[in-house]
Amino acid sequence: MLFGRKKKNPIKLHDKGVQQWRYATCGYCSVGCSIELGLNAEGQAVTTRGVGGADVNRGKLCIKGLAEAAVFNASGRGTDPMMRSRIFDEFETTDWDYALDHTANEFRRIQQKYGRDAVAVVSTGQIMTEEFYTLGKLVRGLIGTNNYDGNTTLCMASAVSGYKRSFGSDGPPGCYDDFEHTNCLMAFGSNLPEQHPIIYWRLKEALEKRKFPVIVVDPRVTMFAQFADIHLPITPGTDLVLLNSMAHVIINENLHDLNYIQQSCNGFEALEKLVQQYDPTSASKICGIDEDMIRTVARLYAKADSAMSIWTMGINQSTHGTDGVCAINNLNLITGNIGKPGGTSLSITGQCNAMGTREWSSCSGLPGYRLLENPEHREEIGKFWGVDPDFFPKKAGLKETDIFPAIETGQIKALWIVATNPMTSMPNSARIRKSFEQLEFCVVQDTYADCECNQYAHVYLPGAVWAEKEGCFTNTERRVNLTRASQPAYANSKPDGWIFNQLAKRFDNYENMHFPESAEAVFEEMKQLSKGIGPNGKARILDISGMSYEKIEKSRGIQWPCRDNDESTDDKQPSPTGNRVQGTARLYTDGVFQFPDGKAKLLAMPYVENNEVPDEKFPFWLNSGRVVEHFHTRTKTGKIGNCNKFSPTAYMEMNPDAADQLGVKHMSYVRLVSRRGDAVVLVQLTHRVPINMVFIPFHFHDCVNRLSLGLLDPYSRQPAFKQGAVRIEHIDQQEAAKLNVSMRTF
Amino acid sequence: MSVEIYQPILAKTNSASVFPVREDEPEYAKLKDPVSKEKNRYGNNIDLIASDAKPNSLNINGVDEIGPNPNRHKQHAFHFTADNCIGCHACETACSEKNDMPAHLSFRSVGYVEGGTYPNYTRMNISMACNHCDDPVCLKGCPTRAYTKHPEYGAVIQDPDICFGCGYCTWVCPYNAPQLDPIKGQVEKCNMCVDRLEVGLKPACVSACLGNALDFGVVENTPENRQQCATQIPGFPDPSITQPNIRFQQIKTLPKEVTRTDSMPIKYQKKNEGDAFKTVIDQKKGTQKYWNIKRLSSRENPLVIFTLSAQAAVGVLFTLLSSSLFKHGSLASLTTSPVYAVLLVLALALVALGLFISTVHLGKPFRFYRGFNNLKHSPVSREGLGIVLFMGFLGLHFLLTLPANEWVRARVPAITSLQGSTAGFASMFAGLALLSGLVALYYMYRCYCIKARPFWNHWHAAATFYGNMLSLGAIVCGCTATACYLLNASSPLPLWQELSTFIIAGLVLESGGLIAHARDMKNGEHEGSVSHYEQTTTFGYTYIARNTLMALNLLLATTLVFAAQLLPESLANILWILLACSIVGVALIGRSLFYILVIPTTMPGAFFWKNKGFEQHARDTGLANLPQVGVVPEHLVH
Repeated sequence: MLFGRKKKNPIKLHDKGVQQWRYATCGYCSVGCSIELGLNAEGQAVTTRGVGGADVNRGKLCIKGLAEAAVFNASGRGTDPMMRSRIFDEFETTDWDYALDHTANEFRRIQQKYGRDAVAVVSTGQIMTEEFYTLGKLVRGLIGTNNYDGNTTLCMASAVSGYKRSFGSDGPPGCYDDFEHTNCLMAFGSNLPEQHPIIYWRLKEALEKRKFPVIVVDPRVTMFAQFADIHLPITPGTDLVLLNSMAHVIINENLHDLNYIQQSCNGFEALEKLVQQYDPTSASKICGIDEDMIRTVARLYAKADSAMSIWTMGINQSTHGTDGVCAINNLNLITGNIGKPGGTSLSITGQCNAMGTREWSSCSGLPGYRLLENPEHREEIGKFWGVDPDFFPKKAGLKETDIFPAIETGQIKALWIVATNPMTSMPNSARIRKSFEQLEFCVVQDTYADCECNQYAHVYLPGAVWAEKEGCFTNTERRVNLTRASQPAYANSKPDGWIFNQLAKRFDNYENMHFPESAEAVFEEMKQLSKGIGPNGKARILDISGMSYEKIEKSRGIQWPCRDNDESTDDKQPSPTGNRVQGTARLYTDGVFQFPDGKAKLLAMPYVENNEVPDEKFPFWLNSGRVVEHFHTRTKTGKIGNCNKFSPTAYMEMNPDAADQLGVKHMSYVRLVSRRGDAVVLVQLTHRVPINMVFIPFHFHDCVNRLSLGLLDPYSRQPAFKQGAVRIEHIDQQEAAKLNVSMRTF
Repeated sequence: MSVEIYQPILAKTNSASVFPVREDEPEYAKLKDPVSKEKNRYGNNIDLIASDAKPNSLNINGVDEIGPNPNRHKQHAFHFTADNCIGCHACETACSEKNDMPAHLSFRSVGYVEGGTYPNYTRMNISMACNHCDDPVCLKGCPTRAYTKHPEYGAVIQDPDICFGCGYCTWVCPYNAPQLDPIKGQVEKCNMCVDRLEVGLKPACVSACLGNALDFGVVENTPENRQQCATQIPGFPDPSITQPNIRFQQIKTLPKEVTRTDSMPIKYQKKNEGDAFKTVIDQKKGTQKYWNIKRLSSRENPLVIFTLSAQAAVGVLFTLLSSSLFKHGSLASLTTSPVYAVLLVLALALVALGLFISTVHLGKPFRFYRGFNNLKHSPVSREGLGIVLFMGFLGLHFLLTLPANEWVRARVPAITSLQGSTAGFASMFAGLALLSGLVALYYMYRCYCIKARPFWNHWHAAATFYGNMLSLGAIVCGCTATACYLLNASSPLPLWQELSTFIIAGLVLESGGLIAHARDMKNGEHEGSVSHYEQTTTFGYTYIARNTLMALNLLLATTLVFAAQLLPESLANILWILLACSIVGVALIGRSLFYILVIPTTMPGAFFWKNKGFEQHARDTGLANLPQVGVVPEHLVH
């Protein structure tokens, strides 16, 4: 063998000089990976690694988590509060006191002039649960507007509505451990390998130990679809038809679990009657899946000892999003697949703390899954917070997707945006821009000053990011996990919780309320609220009273409910930290749901065709989705080279046969036109998409959402991002390239 | 599988290693090879040193401990289950994170091939880094000996502090493993994470894999839960080139044709199930011919100048020395005329220019002296030494011919007396210089005998180099003499007549090589045929123009030999000079084409990352000016 040098030189390897590791939960998506930040001698976070003994990720991280130490010093971070009187003026740097005084004064002025609800707050799924809770207290208890929502309306709202309609409460009933037990997995509009690579890996691990069938429903041949045993390339937006038809087969072939249905469900007769309209022959004409395949899949699912469904935006971002979720719940209820190992309806959530905002932000009601509509809840929270219960509205206000139209029509005059970027994320951006222009006063609170909606801000408040703060996130499987502050807040930015506390001081009635300084103290307060009796007369499910920061860190996250004195331990993973608190892996294991009678609802939902579908003028389906290297509107990943380089600019997948017909070339620019507007993208030709569809990653500013329609789901008010129609036009290549460069410049 | 043998490693957490094993280190991250074979499939020992040999420390970052890994003297290898790769970039990012890589570089890259028709569509991702080959062509090729293959794990590790940034290793490696950083001007590459291996951990990329596609262990061991240990997948270069230490599993059916999304006009086809995939041309840009004259200028321009000027310089000496064999004639008289010294100076200047330009071309020019470190293996070292010796001997020859030079004698009469004692040495050094020059050109040719670059790996390179030596050498002599003769009002035509032998011989040799090259490339089933496709399309008109000119040059040269006497002298002179210019022009175009057309046997890229077409687009449009795009803009290239 040839070795080269006889006398070997010493080896020099890169060493980032990590001196200590600090515990955190990844700040990107809702998988909830335990992550450690490596700090160098200067205390600067220089790298990350997955926590070996954490049950969620077991030492693994995806590309974004691996490169996450770069978020702290990414370009575009806001350094100081900034203000201007008109949006066409230049921003001027100011101090926190002045910016917050001005914000509070403007909110008050507008509320006095136009009414309390003329101020709207659009929050996020990105900040800590303690911060959500504080923001909720501030908005519901002091500011007093009812137009308060989170950006989770764009991603998880249909899952929430669906869970509420079927089970009586939000809260995903399953967990990742279900992969280890299931005998059949069906994924609807979920591309795990790109959206949630760590969950995909958990599934892969389970599959390597024990093979079970995997069925993927997706109009696109994603990696997941490719790896599935059965891929159902469905017509966009018609999942409800497929699901009703599967229910038809299961019920008519007597494959349903009648015992379970009788014990735990209402509404079977209506469902049975409705699904008679969805025989596989008729259904196949609508959903594009042949009738034999519908029967095969339905039988496979129903006959499995345990079967589980997961879904993501393919279901949620649809005009029938909530119905789709309920139909998945139907499928699992009639086959008795809820609350048992390997049998569940598991919504794979989006943002790192989408769950936290659902639980504690008071966006859609009051904290801890309490409802504004319920006088006892208003009474209870009013008393706990020191707020007159009559100060609370009697029913929930507008969702984010209704807030912008209300700005458009002049009902809302002031907007406070917290850690979200509707200029990129909302459908039909042209309409969103117009709404922004209508505002008398707009506050943008964000980590990044170059966040696109800051173009319309009068006040910009720089927020600290991720591990510059302390607090909890809740993940997809209800696991509350902790982030320790390992970095000082960048420049003069401040933790969002601090900003909420300071703003609260500027409102009347503050002295009657209590806003704890530390996140841990807020968590202790939330624990108090989490105890009690739920709507079904049993202990509340969203109970975190058995948790503490110390226990959470030691256990690498605890799944709720975890009640006082819950000493159940978890020894699945090696633990250098000692015994862990397990919490509760699954909900509804006893077949008792969150409706007063304890029974789940089977829902009979007819399919109504109301999508914008391709026609002669706009012959292509417009589909959108995620790529693994980017997160949401790219405010973070667009600046991190080792993420961004894998897709540094907007592109679309297009079928080569369609391209041939139109004379469109690979790696050239085209102009897409919809009934809303146009967008310029690079073309990637691939048979991943059918001949009548284009797929565009949604992360890029001024791209897919210039085209999207976003009809709203009637229950969740979530937009149907994934269904629309476009046509493709040629464009001057040099002009397009110039335009593209200008749009990608941070 | 036995984990027990690793207990000593787990216990040794007080290691000073950069990567101590964590208490909660997951099992998948730990190496598990309780048994291994004796020899690999190429017949090489898997045990890299005798089992009783004294172990040495790898001296990683100044830590002199010897890792407790019991398999540390066995050749290790990656195992890649292509059927499982999801293209999630975790391997690449874990690597970049550990090795602190800037966005524009990566030791490991994921690309893909795809095929089929919706929805019966397959994408196969390929993650590839260094394969720590049994026959490390990078190590052999590197003139500075920056590479070492260690008897520990068989890791091929490159030391950037030794590297002078010539990039030759990036040429010879079939997998694009060594990464030339155009900003730093040096090469870096995968180090097999030997720090992790020492404590029994798999490399960072493997431990990060989310599709359970990448694995690592003693070579030829099939990992747990895997059935296949093959040496090929579509898109992967012929393993016989380097005997790479990577094994594959790819058992899911692939379409008979898979294509690449990057700009490379390559696709892979198999005739029948079970056949291996072959590289064929993918006519991505159609069959339209273009000029693309501007693109002839590339970052290899210095090498165009270096090779041509060195060949011309050797050619000058060759012409002069062969002419001294004749007793009569213009050429013979040239050797005794003052022009001789002028030509020697010119040859010296040409080779010096070439050397200077090629040195400045290095990423780290001040490390030029390291270029001779690897005479044992590297054709680059040998070429370099040959050129330097040529220059040295030629210089000595020049000095020793001064006493015989009329012009010098007239000015320094004292020197005349030395002529008797110097003449012999002068001839000796002339002979040595020519010998070094010819050997240098041979190794210059050997530099391009690269299996990973089939377009170069052909005897036409030798024919072209020696052919250019003959034609350019003769032209330099002819033009220089013409200038001098015209000053003296004597006719250079007889000289041209004699030089034409060299010119025609050179042109015949070169064109013969090119004809054979074109034929072989056209019929090849490799990247060379793809280069030929580019040659006849992207540079189609330029290629035709070059060939036409070359034929015309040959025709003109032959015609002039027989017909020059029939022409007025001034016209004949002009025609010879024109011919000379045309030959130089053809040589420049030909050499530029030689460099820009080569297509290495690299792995398929993705749509953006490792896509030459997108990189060029990003540079052209200014997108590359954003560092997070991961493409180095032109103005930052070293």
